[in-house]
Amino acid sequence: MANLERADVLRHIDAAAPDSPVVLSLGGISREMLAVTGRKGNHFVSLDAMGQTISVALGLALGLDQRGTEDKVIAIDGDGSLLMGLSVLSTVGHLRPGRLVVYVLDNGVYLATGGQPTASADIDLVAVAKGCNWSGARDVRTADELGAATAWALAADGPVLIRVYIGTAQLPAEYFLEDPAILAEDFRRWLRASETVTAERRVQ
Amino acid sequence: MDGQETGQSVLERRSEAVIAGIEAIDPDHVLHLASSTLKIVLSHFIEGPGARPGRRVFAMPREEEGVAIAAGLELAGARPVLIFQDNGIGNLLTSLLTLPQPYHLPLLAVVSRRGGLGEYNSMIHTISERTEALLDAAGVRWFQLDVRTPVERWAAEIERAWAFARATHRPVFVLVNLMGS
Repeated sequence: MANLERADVLRHIDAAAPDSPVVLSLGGISREMLAVTGRKGNHFVSLDAMGQTISVALGLALGLDQRGTEDKVIAIDGDGSLLMGLSVLSTVGHLRPGRLVVYVLDNGVYLATGGQPTASADIDLVAVAKGCNWSGARDVRTADELGAATAWALAADGPVLIRVYIGTAQLPAEYFLEDPAILAEDFRRWLRASETVTAERRVQ
Repeated sequence: MDGQETGQSVLERRSEAVIAGIEAIDPDHVLHLASSTLKIVLSHFIEGPGARPGRRVFAMPREEEGVAIAAGLELAGARPVLIFQDNGIGNLLTSLLTLPQPYHLPLLAVVSRRGGLGEYNSMIHTISERTEALLDAAGVRWFQLDVRTPVERWAAEIERAWAFARATHRPVFVLVNLMGS
């Protein structure tokens, strides 16, 4: 039985990388992140694009390579969403964006729709990522392992994947009904502002 | 008339016009998916003069994945173009309508037509002939380049489609018939 729950992991990631661009998968991951951190400019909330979280983060990481920033790009996906778009692991391994860090929060079920089982229990996602030419991948089952894995990932030359085994506890969280056009524009404004801060720090 | 003056095939002239249009946009990322009719266009970007330093050219395993990667690229201020053929339209609809369309992200897709006169694949018309209807049903703006548009205007039309996608903050598809119809 997993001793980590989704909200624990989300709090941990936000605390470890409070100012990095983060792409949040749909459903419980987005809603619980909003519940534990509130609305944040560095969080891109994917409202319904199941299976595409890592692809969005990949595009973001590639695009930021051209803007001279050094931030990691973090994707937080679920096992069901990852398995819906598993081919992206090969695209990431081919392109090898060094700044990409992917967390897969694996509860083994499609929790938002009633807990139907996914196939993840029979899949070695760490081996799949490594087999797809990722720089590294780890399984995480405890808080200590999570802390060590995050420290490793944020210092590593990516792409890296961290599969975190979690339970099925859910925080009470309301539906998030913001207009997606506003979500995109807020995120782009945050990116521009963060670049300005980074440039000013370089000058100093 | 296509190709009469230069002796080039219709496929070659139209492909060169598509290449010119995309190069005028100067994309920094070109995402592609295999297509026999796009062979000349894809060769230009994969191993020809279009494979220039500073430009990433890579295959997308599925069209929906390419749409999502392009959405991330657009968020970061990059200039991606997608190139694939129309029998992949069905694959990308959910990604298109849950990412760039509602998030108001521009995206340009150059899509080769299949299934019309001159088609040699006995099956492909079943999906390809529904391309316009599928895009209409999805509310996606598209433009068609075929025999009705002089090939000399194709490059400029593709460039205008790029500008139109950015002006209207949404995906725009350019359907290009390279096979002669």
